Amino acid sequence: MTTDRKVVEVRGMSLCYRLAKQKIPSLKEYAIHFIRGSLAYEELWALRDLSLSIGEGETVGVVGRNGAGKSTLLKVVSGVLKPSRGTVTRRGWVAPILELGTGFDFELTGYENIYLNALLLGRQRKEIDERLEQIVEFSGLGDFLRSPIRNYSTGMLARLGFSIATAWKPDVLILDEVLGVGDARFLKRCEQRIEGFHQAGTTILIVSHDPDAVRKNCRRCLWLEQGRMVADGPTEETLDRYKRFSEGKETVPQV
Amino acid sequence: MTDLLSYRDLVFALVVRDLKVRYRRSTIGFLWTMLQPLLTMLVLSMVFSALFRFDLPNYPVYALAGIMFWNFFSQSIISSMNSLKGNAHLLTKIPVPKAVFPLATVIAGIVNLLFAMVPLFAILVVTGHSIRPAVLFLPVSILLAALFTLGAGLLLSPMAVFFYDTIEMINVVMTLLVYMTPIFYPMEIVPEHYRWAVRFNPLRSVLEVFRDPIYNGKIPPVSHLTVAIVVTVLALVVGVVAFRRSSDRIPFYV
Repeated sequence: MTTDRKVVEVRGMSLCYRLAKQKIPSLKEYAIHFIRGSLAYEELWALRDLSLSIGEGETVGVVGRNGAGKSTLLKVVSGVLKPSRGTVTRRGWVAPILELGTGFDFELTGYENIYLNALLLGRQRKEIDERLEQIVEFSGLGDFLRSPIRNYSTGMLARLGFSIATAWKPDVLILDEVLGVGDARFLKRCEQRIEGFHQAGTTILIVSHDPDAVRKNCRRCLWLEQGRMVADGPTEETLDRYKRFSEGKETVPQV
Repeated sequence: MTDLLSYRDLVFALVVRDLKVRYRRSTIGFLWTMLQPLLTMLVLSMVFSALFRFDLPNYPVYALAGIMFWNFFSQSIISSMNSLKGNAHLLTKIPVPKAVFPLATVIAGIVNLLFAMVPLFAILVVTGHSIRPAVLFLPVSILLAALFTLGAGLLLSPMAVFFYDTIEMINVVMTLLVYMTPIFYPMEIVPEHYRWAVRFNPLRSVLEVFRDPIYNGKIPPVSHLTVAIVVTVLALVVGVVAFRRSSDRIPFYV
């Protein structure tokens, strides 16, 4: 289901990490450098002049080498990072799953973490009460939820994280390579849930190193290289070009 | 910071967690909040009435009210710095309004202050100190103290993320400040030519506005109240502006 309504719009967006030339980790050193006038910064442009708009219900993959700016793009679209230049607009509820289980408190029980995590994602207590059963059921963690999560395995934490983050149908779902954990059966349920969101009109944005995952889930694909957009088109076309580039058969046009 | 209101349930949950952690750590955790200022008061009363001898009627009440105020202020500042620093990683993954963390710690600080009120009133009764209707002014005093502290916390907490030594430095400043504020000594013992230092201390009026209804049994004089309000508004404005300008950079520093 794709409509003309745009849910994500990025215009002339650049993002710069300003790195201090000297390492200035302390206030004392900062004061010394400030007085000397020797505060120098190196600018690292992680994203350069990107423009794109994503319509309701679109499925978009992002590919590129390490350090190409894929994760940074997802962070800017989710609203975690503020762009240095240009604008980003979002409509509706964005569920960014940049890392499963961020914000978990390891001293608290699974139940307590369900509340804490969902509240961090912007839900209200009442909404969580209503969805609690469904979250518990989907996680399949049963009685484990009564004990502190410091005893959980990585897989269990991932299940809990995913169950919370996807308990509500988001308008935009942002996934950053998080589906690598958990057993095959849980992975399948995750995929089913994502597919369900897609059927219901959720816009999906995925970063993955696995071309098959992108092929399977996305109709449109972006290719980033050194913070610039090299290609934006149907998945097969972009992946073909990216593959040829990876094998050294195509060079990226230098801007 | 505009959508803080829609995150009120989160703020509430963070406050509850803060209190739970504080009281779960030690077996007498809850009792300790009440006991600690009392013991400090006891020590100070012995030291000051035996060694320095200044005539202050019912010194224990004077000292206790001061200590409670100071504990609230210093603990809230340090924990709001720690809270933002401790959650900085989270802020690189989830788009949550960053001010919820310092805000929640200041609210938890107020709850602690209210718990510590219980032994204070016990002391008032035991020492035969008269409790006058002016204590009804206390909510206003506490609100001013809370807003002043929140302003300072908003100003300082991003710095704790940017520079690892901020909290150490603030600890030094706090040690200095505790002596520059008439918390456990009366203004009168400060030599005339040093008194300006205490008088220009922004914390002092906020403290007196808190202590007056308890110790003097009167609504704070307009002079103190005006200064306290001005100082509080100033702290809050500076804190909010500084936080808005600097907090967007937090995810870059983790």
